[in-house]
Amino acid sequence: MKDIIQIKNITFNYPDQPLLFDQLSIDVHEGEWTALIGQNGSGKSTLARLIDGLIVLKSGQIVVDGLIVNDDNIFDIRNKIGIVFQNPEDQFVGATVEDDVAFGLENRQMPREEMHKVVESSLKEVGMWEFRDRIPANLSGGQKQRVAIAGIVALSPKIIILDEATSMLDPRGRQEILDLVTKIKQENNLTVISITHDIDEAATADRVIVVNKGTIVEEDKPDNIFGDIRKLESIGLSAPFTSQLIMALEKRGIDSSSQYLNDKRLIAWIKQLVSNK
Amino acid sequence: MDQTISFKQVTHTYQANTPFSQDALDLVSLTIPAHSFTAIIGHTGSGKSTLVQHINALLKPTSGEIDVYGRTIIPTTTNKNLKELRKHVGMVFQFPEKQLFEESVIKDIMFGPKNYGASEADAEKDAEDAMQLVGLDESLRDKSPFDLSGGQMRRVAIAGVLAMKPEILILDEPTAGLDPRGHKEIMDLAQELHDHRGLTIILVTHQMDDVVDYASDVIVMDRGKIVKHGKPSDIFSDPKWVYQMHLDLPSSAEFATRLVKAGIHLKQTPLTIEKLADEIAELIKWEAHT
Repeated sequence: MKDIIQIKNITFNYPDQPLLFDQLSIDVHEGEWTALIGQNGSGKSTLARLIDGLIVLKSGQIVVDGLIVNDDNIFDIRNKIGIVFQNPEDQFVGATVEDDVAFGLENRQMPREEMHKVVESSLKEVGMWEFRDRIPANLSGGQKQRVAIAGIVALSPKIIILDEATSMLDPRGRQEILDLVTKIKQENNLTVISITHDIDEAATADRVIVVNKGTIVEEDKPDNIFGDIRKLESIGLSAPFTSQLIMALEKRGIDSSSQYLNDKRLIAWIKQLVSNK
Repeated sequence: MDQTISFKQVTHTYQANTPFSQDALDLVSLTIPAHSFTAIIGHTGSGKSTLVQHINALLKPTSGEIDVYGRTIIPTTTNKNLKELRKHVGMVFQFPEKQLFEESVIKDIMFGPKNYGASEADAEKDAEDAMQLVGLDESLRDKSPFDLSGGQMRRVAIAGVLAMKPEILILDEPTAGLDPRGHKEIMDLAQELHDHRGLTIILVTHQMDDVVDYASDVIVMDRGKIVKHGKPSDIFSDPKWVYQMHLDLPSSAEFATRLVKAGIHLKQTPLTIEKLADEIAELIKWEAHT
């Protein structure tokens, strides 16, 4: 599988602060959903900004879809990447929902007629077409993130980065956004990187990279990462609900041979235990 | 002195007397006893934040009356009469770290007490106590609050409210955006303030697991009205109703409804993971004997 993003031996620090990354390397596989998890301050969001060239490396190299991140390539690279930030308030520019989605297209000087078509299809894709005349500020948090995602879909990037994009939403809004991104990813064959400390969001990924204090602690499928509750807790994260329940059942003498199960598999396993005995 | 917070027929209308007028609170009556830990839940726009902003009179009622520990707020109450009240009702807004502004942690925390007339020395003493209370290390006192981590900044903001020694603490989604460890630290702090300092805690939240883990009482709001007020077990015993209110169940209750759908019948809706594990274990072992 092609590595759409290659992070090679990077070193970075903010002015007057100690090194945040020291010789860090990560590969992101094309078409996969990769979750970067770690506690506040572990360097996750900085990594997203480095990939998009918003801040500059001290040493090392980042390659996005064959292009080295530098001043010459920055606009081509930004065309390939859409970022959804934590606070949607920080990213609105248009007076209406429709204007906001059109903004990025106007920047690219897309002909007006084509632009209308793209705005319509993008807003329909995220289920916000009927809100096209509304003021973004008056939408709910989940609706705002949908509009932000429509603005990204309109630009047809190859990579979507979710930078704690669901952390301000209530659990229902969070699930709706994850379902939406899953759908868009499949339909457009996108690569998704989600930066999160929500374990349930990370559980939807194909691959999880655990970052702590600027280094990779672990890199594996969610199943293998979430089996070890104590390790997750030791770096300030909590275990998924199902792992906590499995542990509570183990305390009561019901042994699952302590592997990670997602909720469907856990329900099936419990059902089997109840009917077998 | 009456030690309760009570709302009597309180209505709050935004943009009254305009075509855009909207009742955010609609004839709300309720009583919150002193020293309770009350969670206020309801979907976005149900009136939760409007409700709590009446408790320290940031908003005044359009009609009706609010009594907070014997102090009365009516539509005509002037700000001049509210200083004493506001000192006793601490309010921590969403993302309170956005309100930090001073050059050092200690000065930021001292701002509140000084604003209420405390001397420099008294304000410093109160700020030091508050730092200790929220678990901020002494070495941070002269640092710029903007050099701290997100979780630490939030604790500085909460310390700034606690330095005024409020009797009532209102927390409006205090853990939004924090990682799991930061989340637990803030919620444990709320519990500590409630259990050992005797504060009345009012928590506005979307996190149903926090409601069952920390709150003694729950108020459910929908379209500006109180639709239920009871213990967490009363509120979550009817999953259908909870979903109708566009709310979520606590994780354990939610998982239990999915077990039921899969044909595994539990006796009651468990609210915590321990109760859920008990029920499943009992079911498996009971089946084993038959």
